[in-house]
Amino acid sequence: MMRSLLIIAAVACVALLLGAVLQPRGYAVRVVCLILLAASLGQCWNIVGGLANQVSLGHAAFFGIGAYTSTMLQIKFGLSPWAGLPIGMLFAALVSVLLSIPTMRLKGPYFSLATLAFGEACRIVATAATGLTGGPQGVSVPFAGNSWLLLQFRGAGAYVPVFVGLFVVVCVAFTLLANGRLGYMLRAIRENEDAAEVTGINTLGVRLAGGAISAALTAATGTMFAQFTFFIDPDIVFSATSISIRAALIAILGGVGTLAGPIVGALVIVPLEELLSAYLSNKAAGIAPLIFGLILIGIVVWRPSGLVSLVTQRRGRT
Amino acid sequence: MTPIVEVAGVTVRFGGLVALSDVSFAVRPGEIIGLIGPNGAGKTTLFSALVGLNRPDAGAIALDGQRIDGLRPHRIARLGMTKTFQNTALFPAMTLLDNVVTAAAVRLPLGAARALARDCLEKVGLGAAADTDIDDLTFPQKALGEVARSLATAPKVLLLDEVMAALTPNEMDAVVATLRELRDREGITLVIVEHHMRAIMRISERILALNFGQLIASGTPAEVSRDPQVVTAYLGQPDASHA
Repeated sequence: MMRSLLIIAAVACVALLLGAVLQPRGYAVRVVCLILLAASLGQCWNIVGGLANQVSLGHAAFFGIGAYTSTMLQIKFGLSPWAGLPIGMLFAALVSVLLSIPTMRLKGPYFSLATLAFGEACRIVATAATGLTGGPQGVSVPFAGNSWLLLQFRGAGAYVPVFVGLFVVVCVAFTLLANGRLGYMLRAIRENEDAAEVTGINTLGVRLAGGAISAALTAATGTMFAQFTFFIDPDIVFSATSISIRAALIAILGGVGTLAGPIVGALVIVPLEELLSAYLSNKAAGIAPLIFGLILIGIVVWRPSGLVSLVTQRRGRT
Repeated sequence: MTPIVEVAGVTVRFGGLVALSDVSFAVRPGEIIGLIGPNGAGKTTLFSALVGLNRPDAGAIALDGQRIDGLRPHRIARLGMTKTFQNTALFPAMTLLDNVVTAAAVRLPLGAARALARDCLEKVGLGAAADTDIDDLTFPQKALGEVARSLATAPKVLLLDEVMAALTPNEMDAVVATLRELRDREGITLVIVEHHMRAIMRISERILALNFGQLIASGTPAEVSRDPQVVTAYLGQPDASHA
């Protein structure tokens, strides 16, 4: 537990330092922000995906709900994203509980497929509900100059402390869960659901609680993303590949169920994405998903417990 | 004395197969019951029905006077009845101690759960193995580890599914002594499935015999081992009873 908190503090300090020294309107600091967002997203997924091994491929649903809730509340009612943030989180948690009713009893790939379909359904609904979301042409967050109150800044540099804050909250939440009673119960469910029930664990209730926490934090990440990019549309924030699958990929690549996993995963995936889009996008536009697919297959075959297992060999620890 | 467990007319079907057929019996508090029967007789199915892992198609089960059939297993565990798994089902990616802590943490804060978990491991003689990974335990240790994990749920009734398999005679004597102590000191009612005749006849105060999903005999070890139906169904030949 102490070690986990030290890792979080160290990463946060390095990010803050980079934010301070890098050119605030430059490209490099933008990549730092993207890494922080990606690590946070992966860590949210890791709560249920890692601790309970519920491989969700539908986290874009919660990400999109977070992004749209705060953005639409700001556009329609002038509400600050700081107020929209908790509303989006609550909404996402509620949706995750509702989603659990049909998916709760599904196991393994069936659960993954159901969540994948749910994420896609959300994308389609968001595209069709033009009155609510602005539809397929997307919406822009109105820019009113640098403002902490409206959580918007010119240039990526000013976002670093905000995203470090998000990262720390999400990672500390993961650490507390992993080392607390709920973490024990989630891991027990991952290992053997029948045995968990017989030892008195309410497996459905525990999964519901873990899922709601994961969904709420994912929504918070979605709000932050919208404030950063200033433009969202259903294909971006409800994307199966660039949100749902990417969240899982980041955690799996780094190490499922470990605190360091999503951090390592984000440190590999984000720079790789940037390189691919810089050098390959005009030659072979569809190649990036192919490469990520190959990486995923490679890691599952050769290092199922992720890159962090190259350093720590012990299983099931954080 | 009112029974701690009362099973009335329980039937469990898997598709067309009747795994348990109209089984009725009662267990008194603090009893040690042996449940015997050939492979496929329905012993594990009966245990699963008792703890709620499968739902009886007919009949009623009561624990301490309260109907429990139809409740989910965690509810039944919290009411005081749990079981160990045949071939053991410890959580493999945790240490032995964390396995037991998990069960204790259901109703206790973590600090108290850790203390109780160590205590439970001591009771089954596994105090020294607390920090061992599950893969590094021997089979008998795993079986006792599951007993310890069950104890952490504070059971009134503990169903033990072949915890003495693969033990040497000396180890078996030790386990029998441990189980007796659990009953004597903590008043835990034990129902034990065991294939090893010497062990089950020694530890049980009463034996229930199942065959093809039906209860065919009930009585003291001496009575049951003389029961002609049991002898034909299970022991094969009359001689085997005094093994």
